[in-house]
Amino acid sequence: MTRINVLHLGICILLPCVIATAASAQSTAASDDAATKLASQVCSSCHGPGGHSVSPTFPKLAAQQQAYLVAQIQAFKSGGRSEQEAHDYMLGMTTLIDDDTAAALARYFARQSPPHGVSSDPALVAAGQKLFTQGIGDRVVACASCHGDHAQGNGIFPRLAGQHAPYIVRQLKVIQGNLRNSPVMHGIIKNLTPEEMNEVAAYLQSL
Amino acid sequence: MRHSRAFAYSAGLVACFSLLTWLALIDTARALPAYARQTGQACVACHVSFPELTPYGRMFKLSGYTIGKRQELPLAMMAQFGVTSVSNNKDDQGQKIVPKTNQPVLSAASVFAAGKITDNIGGWIQWTYNNLATNSAGGTVGHSGIDNTDLRIVGRSENTDQTDMRWLYGLTIHNNPTVQDVWNSTPAFGFPFTVPPNGIGAAAATMLDGALAQQVAGVGGYVYWNRSVYVELTGYQTADGFFSPLRAGQDIHSPGGVHRLSGVNPYWRVAYNREWGFNSLMVGAYGAQFRLYPDNTTPFTPTDRFTDIAVDAQFQHISDPHTYTFQFTRIHEKQDYHASYPATLTGSPIGAGPTPANAHDTLTTDKFKATYYFRRKYGASLALFRTHGTTDAGLYGPGSVGGSANGSPNTNGYIVELDYLPLQNLRLMLQYYGYGKFNGSRSNYDGSGRRASDNNTVFANVWLVY
Repeated sequence: MTRINVLHLGICILLPCVIATAASAQSTAASDDAATKLASQVCSSCHGPGGHSVSPTFPKLAAQQQAYLVAQIQAFKSGGRSEQEAHDYMLGMTTLIDDDTAAALARYFARQSPPHGVSSDPALVAAGQKLFTQGIGDRVVACASCHGDHAQGNGIFPRLAGQHAPYIVRQLKVIQGNLRNSPVMHGIIKNLTPEEMNEVAAYLQSL
Repeated sequence: MRHSRAFAYSAGLVACFSLLTWLALIDTARALPAYARQTGQACVACHVSFPELTPYGRMFKLSGYTIGKRQELPLAMMAQFGVTSVSNNKDDQGQKIVPKTNQPVLSAASVFAAGKITDNIGGWIQWTYNNLATNSAGGTVGHSGIDNTDLRIVGRSENTDQTDMRWLYGLTIHNNPTVQDVWNSTPAFGFPFTVPPNGIGAAAATMLDGALAQQVAGVGGYVYWNRSVYVELTGYQTADGFFSPLRAGQDIHSPGGVHRLSGVNPYWRVAYNREWGFNSLMVGAYGAQFRLYPDNTTPFTPTDRFTDIAVDAQFQHISDPHTYTFQFTRIHEKQDYHASYPATLTGSPIGAGPTPANAHDTLTTDKFKATYYFRRKYGASLALFRTHGTTDAGLYGPGSVGGSANGSPNTNGYIVELDYLPLQNLRLMLQYYGYGKFNGSRSNYDGSGRRASDNNTVFANVWLVY
């Protein structure tokens, strides 16, 4: 094979790859634009500017884990989340979102600045911190082992730091009631008491 | 006869059973009107209980009803079945005042064409069949016509870090002053959200308080900055020519049938909105100046001038299971009978126009309402209302039931409402209207021996939207 033929062969192989990569980048950019518009014009109505929601009915999405956000959008669409709020607010909205836009929305919220903590009753916060970092004997595993030392989340495990305390309590109850398709989490918190939920939620909101 | 009655009774039972079965079989996600189908969201996303709006519902309306996916058949329906009972439903001659009381009747049914047209254009048109329209003989007839309508073109711009809307702005074309407003403290969507059909109404109301509904065309522009400051300017004119569909079904040919405005009449609105936690608060002001022909069928005479200035406020706490909301408004109206007063003085009133005894009058209406809902399903509301103003025997003269013996427009009272929403789109409600004073007095207010409390009314209603 001559040198020119090798060059031609290389171009023939590389060119489609370059074109595909460029097209993919263009597609990603278009999805990012659409997601930014959607987030700032629609999602922000409930989840607040940049995912910094003010109402505890709606979770803060700012700096949330990208993989977790994508998984939740899929869960809303598929019915994997069947709590009342999921049905009332998110089911319909997420069915309008395609996979590319879902991924772009996740990128958008993941890159926002994290929410600031809101202080609460120090005794509650201290008890919650102990529960989060150490767990409760052999009854509850330390939350930090999956959600991170600073509750910053990790991939599919959501960021909890700075989240509204009432929202965390609500979701713990929803998971206890098996209304979210989350068998691992359900197993871990199935014996968590309402008082313990309030403690850990107060701690997480304060971060 | 007995046989046919039994048949009618059986047919009624079958119809009721069929309706209940149908309601029971409706999937909740689908049992929702046009906007819910467009967004896929439940009624509670936008409504505390219909039609009171949540913060998200307000954004949806200000966004021109464009959030979601355009529907191929953007239709919705509404119907109301109710029973009305008036404390004393006979006038001083023994004649029945409110027709068809103490029996269940279909009072009204509406069809809506509503929703998104493009990403920037949307709206809603309501067409209502009134099953209990009154005729000149005092009986009831069926009548249909346009109801509240609001069409919008909107635009948006984001803030520099692309996290929120900085400006939300739009144009609105509508047919009822304040129907375009997103806070439920203003009259068009203020409490009570529905009233007993043909209920006994007080003699006086301000122009902004429903007097021009479905008679005018409003063309206005608004801006909403940072979800906190709202400013709107709208011009109202009689819905003629191009705008005539906005008053379709109105009797414009009978003297006194409707109001007729001269030219374009300005309306303004400012509001400050804040949201925190489960709460939202709005404080605002609005007003208008209307020039009215005294007789709607002679639109070439001098005009009277009505200047309304209002303040309002709303607080909402929306959470699970407890939701409570408060609304207040005070509308102050200056009435300048620039045309009617001199004409009355000369003994030649202008057609069917007013015959004021004063050149200038004032009228003030206060409305306060508090609502509590448990799980957005079981609700109770208490409203207090008061209208007071200048005594004017020429405007508020004696007359059985509807008149005033002392020429005063002063009326006050309260409304208690209990609600149960077994489904998000079905509201079972019980209202009680109690009057402390009616057209100027507690007793013998009309000069024919009638007491204000004779007008106390109970209204049980089934309100269905689909």
